[in-house]
Amino acid sequence: MITITNLTRTYVMGTVHVHALKGISLKINKGEFISIMGASGSGKSTLLHQLGLLDIPTQGEILIDGKDVSKLSEKERSLFRLTQLGYVFQEYAIISELTALENVYLPMLMTGRKKQDCINTGIDILNKVGLGDRLDHLQHELSGGQQQRVAVARALVNKPKILFADEPCANLDSSSSRQILELFKKLNKELKQTIVMVTHEDWHMEYSDRVIHLKDGLI
Amino acid sequence: MFNDLKVSFFLACKSIQRGNKGTSILTVLIISLIFVNLIFFPSVVEGVEETLIRQSIEHVCGNVVIEPKDDQRYIDNADSIEKKINKLPGVVGTSSRYMTGATFFYNNKLKSGSVHSIDPSDEEVVTKFHSGLIAGEYLGKENTNEILLGIDITGKEDEVTGDSDLGGVQVGDKIDVTFSNGIIRKYRVKGIFDISSININRYAFITEKEMESVLGVENQASEILVKLSQRGTEEEYRTNFVELGISEDVKTWEEKTAGKIGSLVNSFSLLTVISTVISLIMAVVVIFIIIYINTVNKKRQIGILKAIGIEQNVIINSYVIQVLFYCFCGIAVGLLLFGIITSYLSVNPIRFPLGYVEPMVEQVLILQNIISLIVFSLIAGFIPAWRTANENILKAIWG
Repeated sequence: MITITNLTRTYVMGTVHVHALKGISLKINKGEFISIMGASGSGKSTLLHQLGLLDIPTQGEILIDGKDVSKLSEKERSLFRLTQLGYVFQEYAIISELTALENVYLPMLMTGRKKQDCINTGIDILNKVGLGDRLDHLQHELSGGQQQRVAVARALVNKPKILFADEPCANLDSSSSRQILELFKKLNKELKQTIVMVTHEDWHMEYSDRVIHLKDGLI
Repeated sequence: MFNDLKVSFFLACKSIQRGNKGTSILTVLIISLIFVNLIFFPSVVEGVEETLIRQSIEHVCGNVVIEPKDDQRYIDNADSIEKKINKLPGVVGTSSRYMTGATFFYNNKLKSGSVHSIDPSDEEVVTKFHSGLIAGEYLGKENTNEILLGIDITGKEDEVTGDSDLGGVQVGDKIDVTFSNGIIRKYRVKGIFDISSININRYAFITEKEMESVLGVENQASEILVKLSQRGTEEEYRTNFVELGISEDVKTWEEKTAGKIGSLVNSFSLLTVISTVISLIMAVVVIFIIIYINTVNKKRQIGILKAIGIEQNVIINSYVIQVLFYCFCGIAVGLLLFGIITSYLSVNPIRFPLGYVEPMVEQVLILQNIISLIVFSLIAGFIPAWRTANENILKAIWG
């Protein structure tokens, strides 16, 4: 499903060149739950950003379902992110002026679907992540774990091919972390959702099918 | 396209609905004050222009004034000309006048000025200077030894005005008048008038009968003032007068004032342009700062929106829609404030040396300023929104 060939990412900081990824090649199959692990600065988040089209690689090729996404225009990347990919960020990344439900159905609204359909789908997904009673709550009325579950629901609303999660439990207590990971596992098992998750906690590995270890920008 | 706008509108509505209410109210208030500033000064200038035009017509020259041809001193057969003109529909009345220079003497003080003759009843129909009497009475048709004086000639008893007037002549006092042809006559002051209008207070008025005896003329006139029922039809009547066989010099009030009003208004126009530009710059700066702060505070949120696939133009448009909302609210409040101000000033007009002025505003001016304010506000809102939304996603989210 995802094929990466010789992927490099170099950041230029003044006169210094930082090689975050040094020519990575890997394959991720459809329906896999992958964990990317490594020490700080190993390049795991950088790799996720390249896969998730949030950043442009310096070199290399990324094929998603056979399509070279590294060559897409900014507009095409935006549309691809909207319709094919889902994101869960490390920090609670929901929009403060929107309710839980509005946060969830916003990406679906962007695809041009009828608002009522979007609302219905949003309610369904929030029910599935256990937030059916928090539909009209704003960010400040939700706990960290609840906010992260809203973010997961939002990431799933357009039925993405791949769900990316960048240290989704970094700011959660162990109970909330477990809830999120259980949710990922359930999605992976029941819906065959492909999930690529960056984590630095060893115990998170038990939820994934495969672990990719990164060190100094290399697998 | 339509869907993008729908999402932009959705984001903008939620931002306005759940954003900081204090900031929103302050923004609307500032825009409303800027809008009032945009239309208030031009409306006062418009009011000044209107007052000057009205006073010229009501006190100086009527709508149309007929003067002798260049090579003649007086209009001949004035009565016949007046009769012809008065027959035309839309002509309210005519008033023929003689004018001559004179020097006024009273208590060893002298003052130069001009004496105008009138037929009191005709003049009442054409001009309104009789309504400016502050003491005494208006002239009667047969008065021959009485005179009406403007306040600039009489002066005031309790004011030290030096040699610029007669030092406080009162009704009933007798003054000597030396006409330009050397004839000297003594007149009893029958009335004193004070009209807040250019030059009128420097005039003296006697009856036509008296003037004809002074100048030794009959059935002639220095000018014939024509009052029309409708302003703006002067050119049409000029043509009608020529068709009636009137060969004298026919001037509209605009020509008679020799563009003095126009040049005065042009001077004000420059100030109006400066005031408008300053107001628009203020609007641009205020809206730019508000949207800039807003977008900087929401930089991470904008990055997240882009990351989940919301297009950049949708995000920018959501801010532009917010600016439009604040702009429309500001304009609405501004119109309300302006309505209150103009209502107050129509009851309590501003006193200018040339008279009382109330702001006058044309719909075109309001529309122009609404469009200007909206266009400048949109530009001011677009730039900071575009700058922030254009930033790299990762930089926007994590700084």
